[in-house]
This record gives sequence, structure tokens and C-alpha cells, in this order.
Amino acid sequence: MDLIIDNIPFLLKGAYYTLLITVVSMFFGLIIGLITAIARLKGNRFFRNVARVYVSIIRGTPPLVQIFIVYFGLVDFGIELGSLTAAYIALSINIGAYVSEAFRGAIQVVPAGQTEAALATGMTEAQAIRRIVIPQAIRIAIPPLGNTFVGMLKETSLVSVIAVTELMRSAQLLIAQYYVYMPFYLTIALMYWIMSTVFTFILNKLEKRLSVY
Amino acid sequence: MIQVMDLSKSYDQNEVLKHISLTIPAHQVVAVIGPSGSGKSTFLRCLNGLEMITSGAITVNNHHLNATESKKKQQKTIHRVRQDTGMVFQQFNLYPHKTVIENVMEAIIVVKKQSKEQAKTIASQLLKRVGLQEKEDVYPSKLSGGQQQRVAIARALAMEPKIMLFDEPTSALDPELVGEVLKVMKELADEGMTMVIVTHEMRFAQDAADRILFMADGQIVEDAEPKKFFSDPSTERAQKFLAKVNEF
Ligand SMILES: Nc1ncnc2c1ncn2[C@@H]1O[C@H](COP(=O)(O)OP(=O)(O)OP(=O)(O)O)[C@@H](O)[C@H]1O
Ligand SMILES: [Mg+2]
Repeated sequence: MDLIIDNIPFLLKGAYYTLLITVVSMFFGLIIGLITAIARLKGNRFFRNVARVYVSIIRGTPPLVQIFIVYFGLVDFGIELGSLTAAYIALSINIGAYVSEAFRGAIQVVPAGQTEAALATGMTEAQAIRRIVIPQAIRIAIPPLGNTFVGMLKETSLVSVIAVTELMRSAQLLIAQYYVYMPFYLTIALMYWIMSTVFTFILNKLEKRLSVY
Repeated sequence: MIQVMDLSKSYDQNEVLKHISLTIPAHQVVAVIGPSGSGKSTFLRCLNGLEMITSGAITVNNHHLNATESKKKQQKTIHRVRQDTGMVFQQFNLYPHKTVIENVMEAIIVVKKQSKEQAKTIASQLLKRVGLQEKEDVYPSKLSGGQQQRVAIARALAMEPKIMLFDEPTSALDPELVGEVLKVMKELADEGMTMVIVTHEMRFAQDAADRILFMADGQIVEDAEPKKFFSDPSTERAQKFLAKVNEF
């Protein structure tokens, strides 16, 4: 027990990086996902296909492979990224594909009559999407996005393999030092669980706040 | 004001509108009636470009739309047509995430590029006109169907349209709420608005319209004054239709 308490600051630092990576990747993932969803639904043939292939590749390959490609693979093209930067990039691109699916589903659920009403008042298609469809789609997308978000939190543990000292790797470093497994793994499991629960709680609150109508 | 020349509209092989030609002068109130599936909605939606036309031409307010032009050119024309055409839908289609007044303000801000304050003033006046000034800050879901439809009318009027299109504006309403919507429409008609109204409200068509278009199978089968149409329809289709309607 003392062992854990002594190393709590170190683990908390790891948890901080886990949170940081989650939030940064989710932020860029949301942007990528929204653009991809719009490209798939409203883009011309070229953009539709680019978006479709992107989503298909990301969903059809292991995230670990994606992380390796960004961190190790890009070196072959002269692109050497820091491990944290590589983690941000790989996870943002990964999460963007899942976010786009959530948005795409949500946009399709917004009734066509909403767009028609907006167009009939003289809005352009772009204005109708931006002002009328997207705000409604975001509210609809919050529950699935919440799941994606919590999934992302757990998936960050993968970037421990490219030497990002987030929560998972923090535990591994301690284990390598003290040769005990269970206490450290249980502690970080608890920490992941607390973070997931807090996220879920915040998202539920947000969902309530946004569904005033 | 509206001129339709040899308009046809097909979905794939299915010809829904067949060679329609007519002229609607300014300030005229036209009621479009006819059996389900006869193409009334499609006709109305062609007038403001919610449906692209397959062949023929439409002129609305000196904007000329021709099926032979490129899609891009047509879309430009349609965008201009919509600037001075308002539309009211059967299902209201109010923006659920915006309050009543925001619903009305939206196009004034986004399309007309006026300031929020100006938009608010205009929207307030319009809501007063449809009798909903005390509901400004409420969300549409809190309103009755009749109230929602009156907001939708105010929203359409916000663009100061020269023409108003109505697609069965009272069909989704409980019977006791129909009157309040028709009253607003009647006032609009009396003020001289050019209106095309698809409706099943025969009484209203008779009282408020200057002209009846009876559609069947994608064609305008009868085009007459209300008095003549309802007392002495000249086609068998119209006679049968009226007989059926009168059963209810
Ligand atoms: N988007 C569409 N794709 C294919 N067919 C369509 C489409 N919209 C309408 N139609 C067909 O066109 C015909 C006319 O439809 P329309 O909605 O204009 O009729 P309507 O006179 O308004 O009928 P109602 O009184 O039921 O509203 C119908 O046979 C319908 O099935
Ligand atoms: Mg219809």
C-alpha cells in the first residue's frame, strides 16, 4: 500500500497525460469527423469517396497498427514525430472516423423538412446545413459520441507502446522498478474507471442541458 | 406573377406532372384541390424549386426558370425565386432547437443580413400579426399545432414574400385548431397577397380563393371560379371528387 501511495504523484502524472491525449484527440477528431460526415453526405463524388475510403480503412485496421504507421512508418518518408505528437495524430485520425459515423447517422435523422423549410426561406444549402441541420445533429449525436469518447479514453493506453508515459506506461515503469504487478494494475484500472465515470456523468449533464426543447 | 409553361415532372419513368400551363396574376388567391397522389404537392414544390422540373419553364416574379438550362443556372434562379416566395408546410417544419422568435428571425439575419435588433423588431411585429406575441421565447414543442403553424406563417412572411405557397397547412391539425390558421390565411388574402394553397378545406377554398385548380393524374383538369366549380363542375372527375368530399 505504501508503494502505491509513494508513487501516486507519478501515476497522477500518467493520468494527466491520458486525459490530455483523450481531450486533444477528441477535439481534432470532432473536427475531422464533422467534415468527413458532411463530405460523405453532401460532397461531390470525389469527396464522398475519399471520406468513405478513409472511414473504411480506419475502421478496418487495428488502432495499434495505425499508431505504428504514424510513429515508425512515417520515418521512411523523412517525417520524424515526437511520440506525443504521433499519439495525437494517430488517435485524432482514428477517432475522426468513428465520430463521422456518429455524425452521419445523426444528420440523417434530422427530418428532410428542416432543410426544406430553411431552403424555402431563401437560405443556401450550406447555410441550411450549418444553421439548421448541424445544431440538431450534434444534439442527437451526443450519446454515441459519449461512447466514442469513453472508448478513446481507454484506447489511449495503446500509445504506451510508443513510449508516451501516460497512465498505462506509468504503471509499467513502476512495475519494472518494483517487480510487483497487481497493486499497480489495480490502481490504474481504478483510475481509468473513475475517469470514464466522470466523463459519462459530464456528458449526461451536457445532453440534458442541450435538450431544452 | 407566376407563369407556368408546359411544365412536366417525372420521377424516373413516372410522370407526375403532365404538361401544365397556367398564369397566376398578382394578388390572386388560388386553391389547388384534387385527389391524393394527383401531383398537387409536386406542383407547388416545383414553383419554389424544392423539386427540379423535368421539362418546361416557370417564371416567378420575373425570374425565368427553364428545364433546358444547366442545373447550376437553374439553382441560381431558384435561389432568387425563394427570396420572395414563402412556403408553409403540412408538418410545420419549425426549427425545434430555436425559440418561436428565433424561428422567425433566422432568415432575416442569415438571408437578409439584417442586424439582430432589426430582426427582432420585425419578428415581434409578425408574431403579433399572427396573434402569438406572448409566445416569443417559447420552444415550438410547447405550442399547439395551430400555434406552430401560425409561427410557420410568420416565419415565411419574414422574408417579405410577394407570393405565399401553402401545402395542406391545416391537414395535420386537430379540427378545433384549423380555424385559427385559416383566419390568418384569410387576412393575408384580404391584404392582397398572391397565394397558392393546396387544401382539402373545401369551405375555405370556396370562401377565400379567387380561383380553383382541380388536379387529377398530374394535370389541371379544371380551372374555374369557386362559385362555378362548386356548384357546377364541368368535368366528371371533378363531380365525382366533390360528391366524395361532400360525403364527409
Ligand atoms: N420524391 C418522390 N419520388 C418518387 N415519387 C414521388 C416523389 N414524390 C412524389 N412522388 C409521386 O408523385 C405523385 C404525386 O405526389 P404528390 O405528393 O404531388 O401528390 P399530392 O396530390 O400532393 O397528394 P396528397 O394529397 O396525398 O398530398 C404520387 O404518385 C407520388 O407517389
Ligand atoms: Mg401533397
